[in-house]
Amino acid sequence: MSILSDVFKSTKAVILGMKRTLSEIPREKWTVQYPDVPVTVQPRYRGQHLLHVDENGKEKCVACYLCAAACPSECIYIEAQDDPRPYEERVGRDERYAKVYNIDYGRCIFCGFCVEACPKDAITHGYNFEISVYNRADLLKTKDDLLITKQKQSKNYRVALSTEDVDSEYKEVDSVGIKFRL
Amino acid sequence: MSELIKVTINEQDFEVEKGARLIDVCREKGFNIPSFCYYSDLALQASCRMCLVRIEKMPKLQTSCTITCTDGMIVTTQSEEIEKAQRAMSEFLLANHPLDCPVCDRGGECELQEMIFDWGDVEERFTEKKNVEPEKFLSPIVANDPQRCIVCKRCTRVCDEWMGEDAIEAGNRGVNTVIGTYGGWLNCSQCGNCIEVCPTGTLLDGVYRHETRPWELDQTITTDVYGSDGMQLSIGSRGGLVHRIVARDRYVNGLNGEFLDVKARFAHEFVNHPDRIKTPLIRYKKGGKLIPATWDEAIHFVGQKLTESGKNVGVVASPRLTNEAIFTLKRFAKEVVGTDNYAVSDRYDLSVFFDNLSAPLATHKEIRKAKTLVLIGGEPEEEQTFTAKQMRQAVRNDGAKLIIVNHTPIRLSAQASQFIHINPNSYDAFVLALTDSANDDANAKKLGIETKDLADFRQTLSETEGDTVVMFGGDLSPQAQSVLANSADAFDGTNAKVLFHPLPLYNNSVGANDLMEGKKSLSEVLKNSKALLIGGSLQEADTNLLANKDFIVVQELFETETTKYADVVLPAASFAEVDGTFTNNTGFVQRVRQAIEPVNQSKADWMITTLIAREMGADFGYNFSATMVFKAIADSVSAYEGLRYPALKDESKPVQVKHAISAKKDLSKEFDVLKSNVEKLSDEANKLTATPRVGHKLHRLTTLTSKTAQFHLLAHGNPKPENLLVSPLVQFNLDGTPRTETADAAAVGVTDRINLKVEY
Repeated sequence: MSILSDVFKSTKAVILGMKRTLSEIPREKWTVQYPDVPVTVQPRYRGQHLLHVDENGKEKCVACYLCAAACPSECIYIEAQDDPRPYEERVGRDERYAKVYNIDYGRCIFCGFCVEACPKDAITHGYNFEISVYNRADLLKTKDDLLITKQKQSKNYRVALSTEDVDSEYKEVDSVGIKFRL
Repeated sequence: MSELIKVTINEQDFEVEKGARLIDVCREKGFNIPSFCYYSDLALQASCRMCLVRIEKMPKLQTSCTITCTDGMIVTTQSEEIEKAQRAMSEFLLANHPLDCPVCDRGGECELQEMIFDWGDVEERFTEKKNVEPEKFLSPIVANDPQRCIVCKRCTRVCDEWMGEDAIEAGNRGVNTVIGTYGGWLNCSQCGNCIEVCPTGTLLDGVYRHETRPWELDQTITTDVYGSDGMQLSIGSRGGLVHRIVARDRYVNGLNGEFLDVKARFAHEFVNHPDRIKTPLIRYKKGGKLIPATWDEAIHFVGQKLTESGKNVGVVASPRLTNEAIFTLKRFAKEVVGTDNYAVSDRYDLSVFFDNLSAPLATHKEIRKAKTLVLIGGEPEEEQTFTAKQMRQAVRNDGAKLIIVNHTPIRLSAQASQFIHINPNSYDAFVLALTDSANDDANAKKLGIETKDLADFRQTLSETEGDTVVMFGGDLSPQAQSVLANSADAFDGTNAKVLFHPLPLYNNSVGANDLMEGKKSLSEVLKNSKALLIGGSLQEADTNLLANKDFIVVQELFETETTKYADVVLPAASFAEVDGTFTNNTGFVQRVRQAIEPVNQSKADWMITTLIAREMGADFGYNFSATMVFKAIADSVSAYEGLRYPALKDESKPVQVKHAISAKKDLSKEFDVLKSNVEKLSDEANKLTATPRVGHKLHRLTTLTSKTAQFHLLAHGNPKPENLLVSPLVQFNLDGTPRTETADAAAVGVTDRINLKVEY
């Protein structure tokens, strides 16, 4: 092979590549400018878990361990505690509550079985998805991280309206935050 | 083998024994029959109506738990009709049962849950409001949720038939039936067997309350550490914590089925108690403080000091330790120190019993099947609870004759066919009367009974058609025990087999006696030695003999009276943390299995002794494995010959050690002592007429039971007398005097439990 044919071949490759690139420029842009702009998540998105409380702020969880039993990756650890005080003074809604409720996000696979198993609707998936940490030990989230009253919600997501179609990629939507033109 | 009859079940022919219960036959042949109220060996109830079957030529569906098989019976267990009836039944059960399974402690091992899974409908047709009743505590350790009850009455039958206490009973009628107690609290020994047999979450363990869930627990089958009956139990542990103790599954049937007593079931908090000795402790100067040290340091120090003492080292083993630990202590005395100064710190010496044993030991099954039971002294209901249960059932269910000879009217005497109420301290006279019928008048006078009583006693024995079991224990003098143990022929009836049953006080009293062959008495050992190695604390009364010793090493769980004299305290592991064996009062060698890792820095007792021996230059060849220790026992103790751990694997077939049966001995020396003792007795003795309080020995606070908070309530009376109860039968005012008026029945509610504060 001569040098000429090499030059010819590579030039052709560059031209082909650039043709693709240049043809994309005038087209519609799909990139979400995260984190400057919030990401839209589906209403049933499975993010970091939330432990719920009732209307008086009492924890709904009764530490029945069903979530831990359902969990395929065994990432939930619970310690139950008896709480015989009257309702007003209790931590939880019932006379039994979770003294310790840990989820190890190093293991969690966000399958949602725990949510389905919960008989008290005490645990659901929230939308927080930014769980990465610098230290692996920090992946273990305790009750203080999970309680809905204590968990800090990220500003970087926006839950789609139920009427919104966030699934199909090639649709024209005029609401803010889904598509951005340059 | 009794007669065989033909029964057709679901168009299959079977030959079954005549008199067999239909439900048992069906289940044995593999046809599943649901039931709640049926419980083998309890009175029939037929109240749950889940076990319905169709029997030909009978007008209606029949409850199979009440039907005895007859020849040519044709049974259908599965049909549309039966299923419809069963489904309707379970629907009615759920009409009032709250669906609070997530909170209920029984969830996961609830028989109602399992049954509804098979026989329940997804939708509930009852829309009426369910009855709501407040949750309450029936005693410090029994929680009660009346609304969950399905009125199977297992608890009332168990309380009546097993315990003879009738503390829990059904009240009202029909749909209003409730399980209740007299006066709103449990007047009983708090055995908790009602909790065990309850198929739902109506009666629950108050110690384990809301701690975890059953499927999260690791179940380890092991042996009771309190009673000498060697009851098999299951430790539920999770993450190194012992959460609860339950009996074995009744279908698998260990020695005791589902029977446990209050201590075996509830007094397990000591295992993970913060007061446990955490590290080895050394007292460098007499009168100084115990200072924490490392294991290496402590063992080195102990080895050095014991070597200095030479042959003046005494070894004392507690009857609470495993066989392995006791045997290793004995080897230490024999091989490392080279002395015969070793003893067992039991409350009474069992060797007089076993040295003179003239008939085999009775197993608990033999007690249950015996025709005549003779109890001389002792109080099995408080000390050998399972033996007491077997005796009561033998009397109640099989019509055995129970003869009780006692100086106090113990509760069991209500069951006795003959109660010989003798004067205090006159057991020697009774033993003499037994062996010598010539002096009945004189002996009866000393005993404070009629001459006729002795004649009746002899007549019952001679008329016995079946086994006679003779039980006696530490209430008798050593001479009386040896004479009794040697006189099996005195109890001979017509074609009767005579069996003996000792009444030891500790879980391994028998094992300690077997393995510490050639032991000396405790006081002798304590006096003769300058240095002591003590495995397990002594009785508090003996500890004054520990003063002014050169050096004392104690292997213990907690700081006790004994450790006050100790120069080195080594943290020992409790029964839940070691592998080993206990020998019970029927001679069964039963496994103790490790449920959790040793807490803190503790080590198994035999391992500590082995470490000290190694420091002093002796190698026992155990390779730090309990299996090797037991092999060494089997190799050197004749009664345990040939035993290995795998042979002890199956709890339902326990292995009995071969205790030597001695021939008739010349016991004239003992007789002389007995006679002189009897002569000293005055004829004018006052009899004890008060029946002791239920639980007067069971609820006593000891080093181990005092770690369970509820036992303080049981033992010391009520912290809030208005509406909390505590000790059965007796309530206390704040100043410590017993209360006479009855407590308000329904007063023990949720709000009261908050005020339940435990004082140590």
